[in-house]
Amino acid sequence: MSTVAVESDLDAVRAEAQDWLAQNWHGVDDPAWNRRVAEAGYAAPTWPAEDSGRGYSRAQARAVAAVFDAAGAPGAARELRGFHEYPWLELMGGPIRAYGTPEQKRELLPRLLAGEFGVGCLLYSEPGAGSDLAGLQTRAECDGDEYVVNGQKVWTTGGHLADTALLMARTDWDVPKHAGLSFFIFPMRQPGVEVRPIRQMTGDAEFNEVFLTDARVPAANLIGGPGNGWKVLQIALGAERRGMGEMAMGTAKTSTRPSLYALSDDLVEAARAAGRSDDPVVRQEIMRIHAWRLTNEWNNARALEEFRTNGASSLASLGKLANSRILHGAAALRYRLLGNRALQYDEAADDEAYRIDYDLMFAFINSIGGGSDQIQRNIISERVLGLPKGFEPDKGVPFRDVLKADATRSLG
Amino acid sequence: MFSALTEEQREFRELVRGFLAEKSTEADVRRLMATEQGYDPQLWRQMAEEVGLQGIAIAEEHGGQGFGWIELGIVLEEMGRVLLCAPYFSTVVLAASAIAESGDAEAAAARLPGIADGSTIATLAFPGENGRWDAEGVTARATREGGSWRISGTAPSTIDGHVASLFVVPARTDEGVSLFLVDRGDGVASTSLQTLDQTRRLAVVTFDGAAAEPLGEPSAGAATLERVLDLAAVGLAAEQAGAARAAFDMSVAYLKERVQFGQPIGAFQALKHMAADVLIEVESASSASSYALWAAAESRDQLPAAASLAAAFCTDALVTACHQNIQFHGGMGFTWEVPAHLYFKRARADEILLGDADFHRERLAQRIGV
Repeated sequence: MSTVAVESDLDAVRAEAQDWLAQNWHGVDDPAWNRRVAEAGYAAPTWPAEDSGRGYSRAQARAVAAVFDAAGAPGAARELRGFHEYPWLELMGGPIRAYGTPEQKRELLPRLLAGEFGVGCLLYSEPGAGSDLAGLQTRAECDGDEYVVNGQKVWTTGGHLADTALLMARTDWDVPKHAGLSFFIFPMRQPGVEVRPIRQMTGDAEFNEVFLTDARVPAANLIGGPGNGWKVLQIALGAERRGMGEMAMGTAKTSTRPSLYALSDDLVEAARAAGRSDDPVVRQEIMRIHAWRLTNEWNNARALEEFRTNGASSLASLGKLANSRILHGAAALRYRLLGNRALQYDEAADDEAYRIDYDLMFAFINSIGGGSDQIQRNIISERVLGLPKGFEPDKGVPFRDVLKADATRSLG
Repeated sequence: MFSALTEEQREFRELVRGFLAEKSTEADVRRLMATEQGYDPQLWRQMAEEVGLQGIAIAEEHGGQGFGWIELGIVLEEMGRVLLCAPYFSTVVLAASAIAESGDAEAAAARLPGIADGSTIATLAFPGENGRWDAEGVTARATREGGSWRISGTAPSTIDGHVASLFVVPARTDEGVSLFLVDRGDGVASTSLQTLDQTRRLAVVTFDGAAAEPLGEPSAGAATLERVLDLAAVGLAAEQAGAARAAFDMSVAYLKERVQFGQPIGAFQALKHMAADVLIEVESASSASSYALWAAAESRDQLPAAASLAAAFCTDALVTACHQNIQFHGGMGFTWEVPAHLYFKRARADEILLGDADFHRERLAQRIGV
C-alpha cells in the first residue's frame, strides 16, 4: 500500500517538473537558465524551500533529475551528484544554511545554486596558523557597510583561479582566540588580493600564498555574525572532511563485478603486470588494502544511513583518516610493483609511471590537507569518544596577549 | 548492499543485551571459566526457554524462531561483548548450520528441535590432526560395515568437545569427504584441554570405530563443509566485532577516569591518537561483519569472499583492540583483576580458531580471482 502512495507521489513530482520544463526550458544552457532552475528550487530540491530547495526526499529529487535528463536540461538536483562534483554546495551552502540570516539565504543561496560565485577557494590557513587554525592573524575591520581585510594566507588550493573565497579573519583581538573570528564570503577579483603560486613536491603549483592588503568584503557577506566564525567554520570543515573521506578509491567504476571483488582490480593488474601476482607477500598486501577500501566504503554507507535516521553520524568523521592509509598504501605498493620504471618522472615519456609517482606524493593531500591526520585523531577522540582536551596554554587568554607571549618566547 | 537494522531487530538487540547483562556479568564469567564444564546448564536452559536464543535461526518447523543470519549475528555480537561462557558457537553456529546446510531433511527433523530447545549440545569435530581449516584437512576415516558406518580419527582441538552430546564429523570415505553425525557413546572419548581462553573450551575428541549416521549426500560433504566453515567464520567475526567494541569501550572509560600528571590520561595526544586508530578498526570490523552477515542471509554468491574478508579483518581488529586495551591500562591491564586479559585471551584464541588472518586473506585473494 505504501509503495503505491510513494509512486503516485513521485508521479506528481515528475508531472510538476515536466510542466515547469515545458514553460521554462528553451534549450539554452546559460546563466539566466541556471538562475531560473535555482529560483524554482530544482537545483537542490532536497533543501527546504527557505534555502531555495523544495523540501523533497532523495527519491523525489532523483525523479526530478531523471525528468531534466530526459529533456536534456542541465542543472537539476546538483546535491545528488556528490561532493566532488559540486563541493561548494556543502562548503559554502552548509554555513549559509546553518547560520545565514533569512535575507542572506534569499540573496546568497540562489546565486550559489546558479553557479554565480564561480570558482572557489578557502582562505583559512596562514603561515603561523595551520594545525592551530584558530591562531590566525588576518584581520577584518569594520568600515561602514564593508570590512577591510589585511593579512596573509597560505596553502590556498586553486587561489589563482578563484572568483570567490571562504575567508576566516579576526575581528576582535581582545577575546580568546576562538571567540574573535569571523567567516566571510569574500570576492577574490579585486585590488589588494595578490596570489602567488607555491610549487609543490609533485612539481605542480595548485597551491598559493594569498596576500590581502586593504581588500574589501561587504558586511552582508559575514555569515553567523562577528565573532562566531569558528562555529560557522566547523560546518565547512566537516563537509570538507567528509568529502575527503569519500575520495574515489580503486578502479571499480568500469567493472561489472560487484565492488566486493572489483574494487582493487587496479592493484591486481599492477601485480600481474609486474609478474608478482603469485608472490604471497604482495597478495597479502593487496588484500589488506582491499579490506581497508571496502570497510571504508561500508563505513561511509553506514554513516549515510545514520544521517538519514538520526541526522548525524560519528562515523562520518572517520573516513578521512581511514583514507590516508588507503591512499598512501595503494600508491606505495603500485610504485614498488613498477620497479625501475618508476625512477623516471616524465609525463611525456611514461604516463603511467608519472601517474603512479604523482599519486605517491599526492596522497599527502589527504593526510595533511583539510587538517592533518594528527588533528583528525584529536577531533575523533575529543568529539566522538569524548576524551578530555589536553593542556591549552592559550585557553581563556585574549588573543592580543597570546601574541605577546609568543613574542617574548621568540626573543628568548 | 546491506542496510541498517529494522526497528524489530534493534529491539531484539536490546532484549538480548539486557538478558546477557544480567546473566553474564564479569563475576559470572570468572566463576564459570573456573568450572570443569565451563558453562552454566541452568542459564543454557534459560537461553533456550526464555529468549529462544539457540533456535533463533532454526526453522519454525524444527522448533526454532525462524529468523536468519542477521538476527543470529546480533546474538553473537552481544555474546562476544560479554565473553559469554556457553557452548553456543559450537552448537548453533557449527553443528546446527552443518545439519541445516547438509539439506538432509530427516536429520534436520530429528536433530534441530533438540538444539532449538536447549537439550542438545553439539559441535563440529574439526579440524583434524593436520589442523587445516578446509576440506583438505579432513583426516578422520569412515567405513561401511554392513548397513552401518563407523568412524575413526582424532580431532585435537574440538570446540566444546568435552560437553557435546552430538558431533558432526567430516570424514574421508571412498566417495570423498562426507559428513556424519555421531552421538556420544561407545567409541567416543573426549579430554578437556587447558586453554589460553578459558571462556571457550577445547577438547581432544577421539573416535574409535564409533557408530556414525551419514548427514546429507555423501558426495556433497566437501561442499557442505566449506559452506559451514564460511558461516562459522562469519559467526566468529560477529562475535569478534562485539568483543572488540566492548574492549574499546573499556579503554575509553579508563582514559577518561585514570588521572596521571595531574589530568585524565585521555587528554594526552599519544593516547588520543591510539584511541582514534582503534576506533577505526572497531567500526570497520562492525561494517565487515555486517556485510558478511548480510551475505550469509541474502547473497550466498558473495558469502565465500565476504566471509574470508570479515574473518581476516575482524580477527586483526579484535587483537588490536584488546592489545591496546591492556596498553591503555598500563600496569593495571597486566593484572588478573582487570578483565582486559580475558578479552585479550579471547582475541588471541579467536585469531587461531578458524585459521588466522593471513590464511583468510589468501583465501580472499583466491576467491576474488587474484
